[in-house]
Amino acid sequence: MSDVRVRRAVASVAGRYSAVLALMLFLLLPAIWLVLSSLRPNREIFTSMPSWSFLGLTLDNYEWALSERGMGMVQLLATTLFVCAATAVLTAVFAMLAGYGLARYQGVGARAAVVILLLAQMIQGPMILIPWYSVTAQLGLLNTRTVLILIYQTITLPAAVWLMSSFFRRIPQELEEAAAIDGAGRLRTLAQVVLPIAMPGVAAVTMYAFILAWNDYQYALTLTSSRTTKTVQVGIAQVMESLGATNWGGIMASGVLAIVPVVIVFALVQKTLISGLTAGAVKG
Amino acid sequence: MTEAVSAAIGTGGRGAGRVRGRTGAWMRGQGFWLALMSPVLLFLIVTQFWPLVDTSRISVFDYQPTRSPDSTFVGVQNYVDLFVNDRRFWIITRNSFLWMLGSTAVQVVVGTAGALVLNMNLRLRGLWRGLMMVPWVTPVVVVAIIWRWMFDGGENGLVNYYLGQAGLLSDPLVWLSSDVWVWPVVLLASTWKGTPFVILLVLAGLQSLPGELIESARVDGAGAFKRFRYVVLPHLRPTLAVTTLIALVTVWFKFELIWALTTGGPAFATTILPIYVFTQAFRDFNFGMAGAVATIAMLTLLTVVGVLGLLTRLRKEGSS
Repeated sequence: MSDVRVRRAVASVAGRYSAVLALMLFLLLPAIWLVLSSLRPNREIFTSMPSWSFLGLTLDNYEWALSERGMGMVQLLATTLFVCAATAVLTAVFAMLAGYGLARYQGVGARAAVVILLLAQMIQGPMILIPWYSVTAQLGLLNTRTVLILIYQTITLPAAVWLMSSFFRRIPQELEEAAAIDGAGRLRTLAQVVLPIAMPGVAAVTMYAFILAWNDYQYALTLTSSRTTKTVQVGIAQVMESLGATNWGGIMASGVLAIVPVVIVFALVQKTLISGLTAGAVKG
Repeated sequence: MTEAVSAAIGTGGRGAGRVRGRTGAWMRGQGFWLALMSPVLLFLIVTQFWPLVDTSRISVFDYQPTRSPDSTFVGVQNYVDLFVNDRRFWIITRNSFLWMLGSTAVQVVVGTAGALVLNMNLRLRGLWRGLMMVPWVTPVVVVAIIWRWMFDGGENGLVNYYLGQAGLLSDPLVWLSSDVWVWPVVLLASTWKGTPFVILLVLAGLQSLPGELIESARVDGAGAFKRFRYVVLPHLRPTLAVTTLIALVTVWFKFELIWALTTGGPAFATTILPIYVFTQAFRDFNFGMAGAVATIAMLTLLTVVGVLGLLTRLRKEGSS
């Protein structure tokens, strides 16, 4: 009797962990394969059969990826880091204000504000690119980092405002009422009472904006191409097209370098971000 | 009575003050919150809603900026050209539905399964939940590198090699150059990239499911499948509706993954409407035509979302 029960418990544990293993293999193996291949000497990459061995690894591909005569990742990463950081800071400031407003506003058009935010998340990419291109060309903003920072706000702001407001709603309003009784103005209350509590949320939203901006390809592809304005993705894609299959090792090393910054940023705020994203989605 | 009169006289006598007082009171009341929101709302209207309207406006013009800076009104000519004269258009429309519905369906199914797995009682659950987001943070161009490399057409390409070893493939398959075999690669890559976010949302839905419900179903003798079908799934339905909507919109407008993998090729085999907007606008610089395709793309999305919404509503009414 107990033997059966033990066997059944073991089978259930084995089943559970093999399911997790299968899921993780699907989600992680391709990335691991990328890292491993990027460490293999380029001449081996095409000539030999796939290998999962850790022997004979080299950093040559990374040298090529970073050098100016190779992929020039230093310049690409610097540009992208600057654009994404600026996007994130700008988004954080405006989304913080708007999110606070959205969390507390109960007057006319409160629903309209929500509808505008939701619709804005659906109006993306090809739907807005043509006027953006024409207008920024007229303003002489094509091929600048400014235009990227501006258009990235359309990716980041709708979701960021939504997230911020869900963080602010969790803060009890009595705190603000107490501050008001003490004679603090509303902006002062926001700065001195509300923000310190909402800080983890603000940090998470800032990093979320950074990740979203880092993930853009289509806007950068359309609006930038010069050496000092193109982003990591545009740079790698251009080289991939022109070099074709000749230096896969170097391209893969560049790919790894392009993931590292976002992985770090995500790891920093993972907990708050995931709880915020899920809370917002369930309510929405 | 006298109070009312004096109040009326008082306010009447200080008209300007009354207005200022009212604005002041409004700013101390609801207006303050509106003022906080307005910069963002105005920005979104100017940078997203206006461009959307402008895109559909140029769809009734012949506007090719590299040929002539002027645009001439042509009515529905661009649409007629697309529907009647453009043989690629219908192939692209078919691809669009294949991509939109196929990619979304696979993502939601795999994501739900993944969420059920990660909702089980596991050691290091937090670690797994963090690690599973790796594809989500991976930029599309890098996703393209990974999947192009795994599905390399040579005999030493990872997939070709293992399929060959397993005896399933006698000659290496040049995946990305075949109109048929390019699709599994594109769909697989988009599933890889999109599934983590679906898992995240469905997990949130699962966590609000009371454990006692499952337990009592178990006591009643319901097997794993029945528990899922009659307890878990009905509870998840609203979450799945939101998740499907988010996946649908993302899959539609984030055409960049296909672009990075195949640039819509071979020929037009993986071109979808949003990609066609891009090539019409920024390869051929035919802005009028691109505007028409963009308008159709937006209407297609709205139709699909509308039909799905209707279906879920009917479902809800049918079950209640």
